[in-house]
Amino acid sequence: MADPMKIRANVVGDTTEVKVLMSHEMETGQRKDAQGKTIPAWHIQTVNATWNGKTVLSAQWGPAVAKNPFLSFKFKGGAKGDKVQITWTDTRGDTRTDEATIG
Amino acid sequence: MPRSRRSDMRRMGALPLVALAWAMSATAANGPAVGKFGLGKPATSAEIAGWDIDVRPDGAGLPKGRGSVAQGQDIYDARCASCHGTFGESNSYLQIAGGVGTLASDQPIRTTGSKLNHATTLFDYIRRAMPSDNPQSLAADEVYALTAYVLNLNDILPADAALDADSLPKVKMPNRDGFTTAHGFLRRDGKPDTANVACMVNCTTEVRLSSEMPAYALGVHGDLAEQRRATVAIEGLKTTGAVPDAPKPAAGLDSAKRLGCLACHGVDGSGVGPAFRDVAARYRGDGSPSHVPDAEARLLAKVKTGGSGVWGPVPMPGQPQVAEADARAVIQWILSGAR
Ligand code: HEC
Ligand code: HEC
Repeated sequence: MADPMKIRANVVGDTTEVKVLMSHEMETGQRKDAQGKTIPAWHIQTVNATWNGKTVLSAQWGPAVAKNPFLSFKFKGGAKGDKVQITWTDTRGDTRTDEATIG
Repeated sequence: MPRSRRSDMRRMGALPLVALAWAMSATAANGPAVGKFGLGKPATSAEIAGWDIDVRPDGAGLPKGRGSVAQGQDIYDARCASCHGTFGESNSYLQIAGGVGTLASDQPIRTTGSKLNHATTLFDYIRRAMPSDNPQSLAADEVYALTAYVLNLNDILPADAALDADSLPKVKMPNRDGFTTAHGFLRRDGKPDTANVACMVNCTTEVRLSSEMPAYALGVHGDLAEQRRATVAIEGLKTTGAVPDAPKPAAGLDSAKRLGCLACHGVDGSGVGPAFRDVAARYRGDGSPSHVPDAEARLLAKVKTGGSGVWGPVPMPGQPQVAEADARAVIQWILSGAR
């Protein structure tokens, strides 16, 4: 299983800013190994973020996103103590969910 | 981590004269001068204590104090995150977290956390040089807290950890035993490219630099020779079809030696006459802006009858004794880049 994400969420006024660092190879499918064979694509495909169970961001990613992706976004709402949850799913069907408390 | 020190020195490059003048007027006022030249004064123990802030791997030099990961997070968010990123992940200045365990992989991520061999050095560095916009402004407790937090960002310390002079030297960095001196940027035939021993006898007289692509990478982007843009005088490497043999020592170079041209010309360096690579760059018929169509014939004539004024005041004497075929071989070699 992949390493946990690092998540920070802070509310300022009526907006919550979320920062996420994911741990993933994000292999593009375009590199070749030392034998000249193509290394198969293996990257995060969907990202979903919820705040108290409600979706606030959903994204589809392709091979252009770099290794160990950093994601930052804002949404209207949120209060100290609320939960933010992030889930990703990759091209192999692996998935990982992590949670942070808004500070 | 000597880089910041080097740039400090560079910045101070303009100062010594001013400092010297100040020191000279200061000696007169500050009482007895020392040494043969009557300059300066012995440093006081307070001054030495101010400079002597290095911390050793065994913890020698660590000040009193204590700080936790949680305290470190608050200070970090306020004073460090703008440059190093919330998670230490930003490489716009220098990535300080992540990449642990990747150094030996084919895509190493070099960060403070993945490279460093002693946690005490991290403390020393932060105390000495960070935050970069206001170095040495942190109290000892804050430096302990920041060190703990940076180690936590690297998953080396848990979120409830705290550090002091006793516990810091006990932190084991993931790359503790990874430092070697016998390596360079590249490895050639299993040997590092930089390890060298000074040559004292029978040494090479001409150093040739070359580069090559590993065989497996040759075809990856098609034939580079064909994609070469005509605006630059760089020969594209042929990367498809038969893999070219390693270049043989040029026959042209041998002739140039035999005919005595090298008495006045260097291949790459200076001599009485212009370096052959400079001549090549000027006349090479490769479609570049400096292309001269009849370069070969013109230069052949120069060798036979002599020339002057093109490269400088010193003339080249005519050399009618040189056989035309020989001269042509040398000129063709020069025009093909004098490699
Ligand atoms: C104004 C931008 C800036 C700020 C703010 C800043 N840094 Fe830095 N930091 C840098 C730069 C630039 C370097 C690289 C210096 C060099 O290599 O010469 C660096 C290097 C480092 C390194 C060493 C990396 C290595 O492996 O060589 C550490 C550790 C570090 N900073 C920690 C911190 C901490 C902790 C803070 C907050 C107290 C901080 N920095 C604040 C710009 C900054
Ligand atoms: C006695 C010294 C001397 C020797 C020997 C000599 N050269 Fe030169 N060469 C010069 C000088 C000086 C110049 C620069 C003349 C000028 O500025 O026009 C020159 C210029 C040239 C040029 C450039 C001419 C131009 O108009 O751009 C070529 C090509 C050249 N030499 C080839 C040779 C070859 C090939 C030999 C050997 C067969 C040779 N030289 C031997 C001194 C020498």
